[in-house]
Amino acid sequence: METAVLQVFRYDPEKDQTPYYKEYEVPVEGTLLNALLYIKDNLDPTLAFRAFCRSEVCGSCSMRVNGKTKLACKTPMKELVETWKGKPLRIDPLNHLKVIKDLVVDIDKPIEKMKTLIPWLVPDPRVVPTDPMHESIIYPEEMEAYKDQIHCMLCFSCYSACEAVEDNDRYRGPFAFSKAYRFQVDRRDIETAKEKRIRYAISGGLWSCVQCQKCLYVCPKGVKPAEDIQNLRGQAVKKGFTDKPGAKKLKHFVDWIYATGQINRLYLPEEVYGNREAREKLTKAYTEMGVEVWEVPKPTKGLMKFRDIYLEILSKEDKALDLDFSHVRKIDRMVSEIFKADICTIIDRAHEEGRSSRGLISKLKGLLGGK
Amino acid sequence: MVELDYDIVIVGGGGAGLYAALWAAENTILKVAVMTKVYPTRSHTGAAEGGINAVLTHSVGDSPEAHAYDTVKGSDFLADQDAVDIMCKMGAAVIYDIAHRGVPFSRRPDGRIAQRPFGGASFPRTCYAADKTGFYILQTLYEQCLKNNVTFLNEWFLLSIIHNGERVEGLTAWDIRNGGVHLIRTKAVILATGGHARVYWNRTSNALGNTGDGTAAALRAGLSLKDMEFIQFHPTGLAKTGILVTEGARGEGGYLRNKDGERFMKRYAPEKMELAPRDIVARAIQTEIDEGRGCGPNGDYICLDLTHLGEEKINERLPQTREHAILYEGVDPVKEPIPIAPTAHYSMGGIDTDRLGRTPIKGLYAAGECACISVHGANRLGGNSLLDVLVYGRLTALEAVKYADEAPETNPSMAKAKDDEKRILELMEADGKEKLADLRRELGNVMMKHFGVFREEKSMKEGLEKLMEIKERARHVKVYDTSKKFNTDLITALEFLNLVDLAPAIAVPAIERKESRGAHARKDYPKRDDKNFLKHSVVKLKEDGNYELSWKPVTITKFPPEERKY
Repeated sequence: METAVLQVFRYDPEKDQTPYYKEYEVPVEGTLLNALLYIKDNLDPTLAFRAFCRSEVCGSCSMRVNGKTKLACKTPMKELVETWKGKPLRIDPLNHLKVIKDLVVDIDKPIEKMKTLIPWLVPDPRVVPTDPMHESIIYPEEMEAYKDQIHCMLCFSCYSACEAVEDNDRYRGPFAFSKAYRFQVDRRDIETAKEKRIRYAISGGLWSCVQCQKCLYVCPKGVKPAEDIQNLRGQAVKKGFTDKPGAKKLKHFVDWIYATGQINRLYLPEEVYGNREAREKLTKAYTEMGVEVWEVPKPTKGLMKFRDIYLEILSKEDKALDLDFSHVRKIDRMVSEIFKADICTIIDRAHEEGRSSRGLISKLKGLLGGK
Repeated sequence: MVELDYDIVIVGGGGAGLYAALWAAENTILKVAVMTKVYPTRSHTGAAEGGINAVLTHSVGDSPEAHAYDTVKGSDFLADQDAVDIMCKMGAAVIYDIAHRGVPFSRRPDGRIAQRPFGGASFPRTCYAADKTGFYILQTLYEQCLKNNVTFLNEWFLLSIIHNGERVEGLTAWDIRNGGVHLIRTKAVILATGGHARVYWNRTSNALGNTGDGTAAALRAGLSLKDMEFIQFHPTGLAKTGILVTEGARGEGGYLRNKDGERFMKRYAPEKMELAPRDIVARAIQTEIDEGRGCGPNGDYICLDLTHLGEEKINERLPQTREHAILYEGVDPVKEPIPIAPTAHYSMGGIDTDRLGRTPIKGLYAAGECACISVHGANRLGGNSLLDVLVYGRLTALEAVKYADEAPETNPSMAKAKDDEKRILELMEADGKEKLADLRRELGNVMMKHFGVFREEKSMKEGLEKLMEIKERARHVKVYDTSKKFNTDLITALEFLNLVDLAPAIAVPAIERKESRGAHARKDYPKRDDKNFLKHSVVKLKEDGNYELSWKPVTITKFPPEERKY
């Protein structure tokens, strides 16, 4: 029978000074969970790990194999052996969680963190009948909005893989945001609860996510926390929670790109972090180094067309409301003042001169797939 | 040793336990705690796939009476009809309640809860949420318990129930995470610890921990177990692992074929075909295999053919089924039939309670699979277990609240806790002449061979002898891990000992029930015998270690027994 060697993380705080790895030879048959059960039944009954349903619904047996987060019952041994040809298979407990013993980690903390995001339905009495014999109508289409999030089984794989958890202990964890978002897009959930969830999400590190996308790749159930976090951020901005740097950065990007075709490196520090001296210092430094610097990028040929395209893209993604038109008008006024003409005249002039900003053209090319 | 105080302790954090906790939390200011050996969302309710039966307000043409009749007929007339009546009438109320709490039931185009046909039902009344109904219910109930700030004792293992012969006084339990036996004082206890189909260790759809812990503790505490001989074999377990393929696969139109490609159900249940009740389908499959018409090189499985349903329907209605078939069987049901065979699935029997989930000990209740109310009789219908779990979780919670509200404080002695400490110490000091994994495999083999889909006297008597022998040998099983923290070696051993206590409680009534009824199919007595056996079996464990059998009448109200044809 084909066998493989597992190097399993062992640590019993009552007996061991430090963790160590123990090697076990197991058959390459069935799943990684089968291999662990084989060890427990035949080689070493003292090995501790969690497992229950053995059919990927309970979320107990998440762990790491050579650093990659895996659900043991969903990971065929054959696949592991083929992926890590010749290399030993090192089995570790989940990352970012306190080890209780061997592969068993303390999951109370992420559960407590999740609880702070109101991960439950707070029914809106106008939608959900209070009469227990009255059905609340939900159309199949509206369930599309949370069809992925409801698969979360609290296996904490994403929590283990998350970069933001690594950096920020207060960060609630990818799954927690997905659990929260599921109710943000449920018509039955009351508006006041949605508002609160956003507030709690912001204090729970909503803007700390670095969009590394790892949560999305490790989730054994196809939940996409990174996307849900982006959507929550969008909701936060829409609901007027724009005082966090992350929200301000998003606003800066969206508004300046729409208004001028590019972000404004001179204004970014001020608009995002409130640093009023940065603009002056940067202008000075750039000038000294002989770098051409514009307070406002000059509007270019095709800008109005670009704005249409940009708006259309945002609308398709249902993000058009992220645009702050009063801010855009303010930028337009700055442009007019600098160039001593209204924005349309400036663009007409640009067309006449046949000149164009390279930055804008390349941006447009990117958006239109290079045409 | 820590002593804890509560008013109501719910043991088990699955569907019944969480729903009980929720209804208790919302209806009392008493101190309520849920004690569970795993985190609640790991519980086996999460593996229930197909759905939950209920007659809804828009189920035109259907009625709770029709549901009750189907249930009683499915039970082979062994269910207590007063209890069935309660359960079926509460169907819509619990469905709407959990839907209002957020369970994402699949919907019809008009926005109402969708229902599909299920085995043994005269009407499509099985509400479902894709093929993960139990999973969504469990997650939603957990969310709602968090919302209500329910106290959880996660990863605590029930050891003993303490009572004074009249009323319950408390529990002893092992704190898995930190180690140690603890005494829990409480006025009321709801046992919601799930089933014990893990006695068929080597071929079952059950989770690793479905070891009947509450049922075994009740048996040891002198309570009666009812109808233990009835174990449901689910017709469609994956051939290699016994992992479940939902009945929904047949509900959506899947065919069962033998090696000749024949839809053999036409010979067993010409009208209902694949959607006959589980006991009948399981026997048909087993017969095909036994008579040499099984598929595969060894002829030891049957094919569940979904290929004609098409990829789109399979993905929409049976996504998990497809995933499991690919992962655990290496077969994509869109392209080829799934190899399946019967797998031990559900315990109809359990702790003997009345129609409201009450045991003869005041303050002690049982709900869900560990209980025998009895609403399932000799054979449970698909989609009725989730309903049972919710209805009785809720009813026992309300009963417990009512009782604990007025009951005086309890004062259990430390004796049981001391006994349990000794018992655990002895396990660690045993001689180790027997190996747990081997003995457990043997237990599973004996159960499957002697108390499987088909049974007969001689074989069962042999089987019982072997079970008593295994029980004796189990004294030599040693726990090698001596640390207190997260000692899974100890938990595995305790679970095994629970199974060892329960197995003879299945065997004894199985031998004495000299008829075939529901899931209890005897080759030597192939017919149902209402004259002699239209009655519940009741087993008690005597102090001398013997299992004492007695009988108890069935409550029949509306539906007199009749021949069961599909």
